[in-house]
Amino acid sequence: MSTRTSLLVLGMATALAVVWAATAPAARQAPAPAAAGAAAPAPPEFVCPDYSPIAIQACGREHAKTFKPPRTADGKPDLSGYWGGSQVAHEDLEAHPKTPDDNGGPSALVDVPDGKVPIQPWAEAKRLENKAKYIDQNAQCFMSGVPRHLYMGAYQFIQTPTRLVLLSEETNAYRNVFLDGRPHIGKDIVLWQGDSRGRWEGDTLVVETRNQNGNPRLDQQGRFLTDEAVVTERFTLFESNSILYEATVDDPLVYTRPFTLAIGLRRNVRPGYELWEESCYEGESNSKYLRNIGYRTYPGFSGKEARAAKEAFERRSAR
Amino acid sequence: MKNTLVIARAIAMGCVLGAVVPIAAHHSLAAEFDVSRMVTVTGTITSMRWTNPHSWLHVDVRNARGQVEKWEIEFSSPNSLYRRGWRRTDLPPNSVVTVVGYPSRDKSAKVLSASDVKLPDGRTLFAGMPAGETP
Amino acid sequence: MQRIHLVTLLAAIGIVSVFVSSGCRTPGPAPTEAETYRAPRTSDGHPDLQGVWQAVNTAVWNIQDHPPELGIPAGQGVVDGNEIPYKPEALEQRDDNRKNRLTADPEAKCWMVGVPRITYMPFPFEIVQSAKQITMLYEYVHTVRNLYLDSVHPEGEVGEIEWFMGDSRARWENETLVVDVTHFGPETWFDRSGNFHSNALHVVERYTRTGPDHMRYEATIEDPNVFTRPWTMSMPLYRRVDDNVRVLEYECQAYLETQKDAAR
Repeated sequence: MSTRTSLLVLGMATALAVVWAATAPAARQAPAPAAAGAAAPAPPEFVCPDYSPIAIQACGREHAKTFKPPRTADGKPDLSGYWGGSQVAHEDLEAHPKTPDDNGGPSALVDVPDGKVPIQPWAEAKRLENKAKYIDQNAQCFMSGVPRHLYMGAYQFIQTPTRLVLLSEETNAYRNVFLDGRPHIGKDIVLWQGDSRGRWEGDTLVVETRNQNGNPRLDQQGRFLTDEAVVTERFTLFESNSILYEATVDDPLVYTRPFTLAIGLRRNVRPGYELWEESCYEGESNSKYLRNIGYRTYPGFSGKEARAAKEAFERRSAR
Repeated sequence: MKNTLVIARAIAMGCVLGAVVPIAAHHSLAAEFDVSRMVTVTGTITSMRWTNPHSWLHVDVRNARGQVEKWEIEFSSPNSLYRRGWRRTDLPPNSVVTVVGYPSRDKSAKVLSASDVKLPDGRTLFAGMPAGETP
Repeated sequence: MQRIHLVTLLAAIGIVSVFVSSGCRTPGPAPTEAETYRAPRTSDGHPDLQGVWQAVNTAVWNIQDHPPELGIPAGQGVVDGNEIPYKPEALEQRDDNRKNRLTADPEAKCWMVGVPRITYMPFPFEIVQSAKQITMLYEYVHTVRNLYLDSVHPEGEVGEIEWFMGDSRARWENETLVVDVTHFGPETWFDRSGNFHSNALHVVERYTRTGPDHMRYEATIEDPNVFTRPWTMSMPLYRRVDDNVRVLEYECQAYLETQKDAAR
């Protein structure tokens, strides 16, 4: 077979493998034609199953040992493209069942003995208070913070030699990861998405995020961070359509030890797919009803407040 | 709305595997809605607000005493509808719909989070392709 | 709202003092430097527009010439010919908007402010460029615009798809990035003085590097519901050259939500 024919056959096979038939609306073709309910052939299986974060971490790391990733012009693994992964961690970082409200799923944590978030006793009390009193940031169209931004939406990653931009259609939120080696901004500048600085360790991008503002909660169970938290993420392409995403959360004021969650980010190969504007606050009206039944906007939580709260809790417990 | 949202967001995400979990509600439904029961209302659509994060159907419902109540039905995000080829002008005017959904925990609000919105012929509103388009 | 604007004004003044010495140019015919400047290229061979940029003018207050008021600096307008060709009934609407601006301006509600206003809001933005798209990351309420290359707008007539920031499709014309923007909703304003449009708005932007730290920005506005003819605004954009500079955040809606709690 000539090279051209081989390429043509390969191209057709690839097209068939990654594009499954979708009955698109007849006349109007949005740039992202979508299935209109007609049964479609099953899409391709990805390497490493999604059913468990522990499994995908182990499997992803194993594959990464031999996988040769596609590279950018400056020789780095190319993380660009459209991605999506399991979202259930935003419902509850721990294992939780399916209910009318939740999709349910296993614990997102991979390095704790029982999948339980290693939270200090005073912070567990505050978590329950958060859940009972405050509106989840997502309902008010605020941003998700780190790491929740990456289990809350559909993404596009854009990579240049000096930047990895993580776009999310969900409320148009974005994170900008700086790869140019410059230092973090001053610690008094606290931000919803924090300040992220990344460097390559072999073929893994390691991103350190500081300067979060202690407002976004990690899940809808009220789990929280202070403005002193440091989150370290690792992005590793382990096959052409999958990234192993690991995030280690370190906030010693709140948790008894750092803990890590793992998610498989899968490439969205639907042809013509684009992120579109998802204005959120402009049309938001749920918070009015939430206020009517007693919820309020979360005021955030600083390291200073955490120390005071912990001390007060321990004084009360000592009596 | 839960099913519609799951399917719609799955399409929006281009969920390429059966294994990938469908998108969940972007904020906890249970905080705002009573997910322990379903309510059914039938009425006439007077307008639709195509906004994010939710579109809203405004439905006039005649209650048992014959009075018209104005209900707001929380519906899919516009992008999920746009991607399926629907446009803002496609809403069938004065359509009668039957809505099944979770009621608001705010008892003063006539608001439903729609699980299912059906037209009189049994078709689900905004599923499949736009009305009038031949397959 | 006046207080919030004063804060951003003072911030803007702080920024002006950092780089005004590099020689600000007034809007007008493109200077000779622009005709000969050839920008460095990205790896795919196009002019490199990347970096952190900001407009330094008072267009956000009023895109036309205006005298000072308390808390509002005087400004030389950015509209070519200083005239906005409103239809008579639209001009009445504009004047009405102006009277109600403290509450009716989308910025007062912490909404996205549309195109071209997002460009000259008193906040920086970053341009990130790849082969298939140019992404603009704005500080004001984390607005994002993806300017997609080699592609077409999603199908739909006026009013069928409505986005605050519209839909942007871009192409290169030598040194200039030309961006065609449609699919707007009607809610955004061109400034804090009530200048407005309908959902039939169509904007064509042109971004051209004119020097190492300067870019020329032009936007042609067309809206047959509101204006009698197309009109154009133009202004320089300045590179933010401060040490370790980055776009930060202005999550305006969080402050409003806290105010709503307090009102209960």
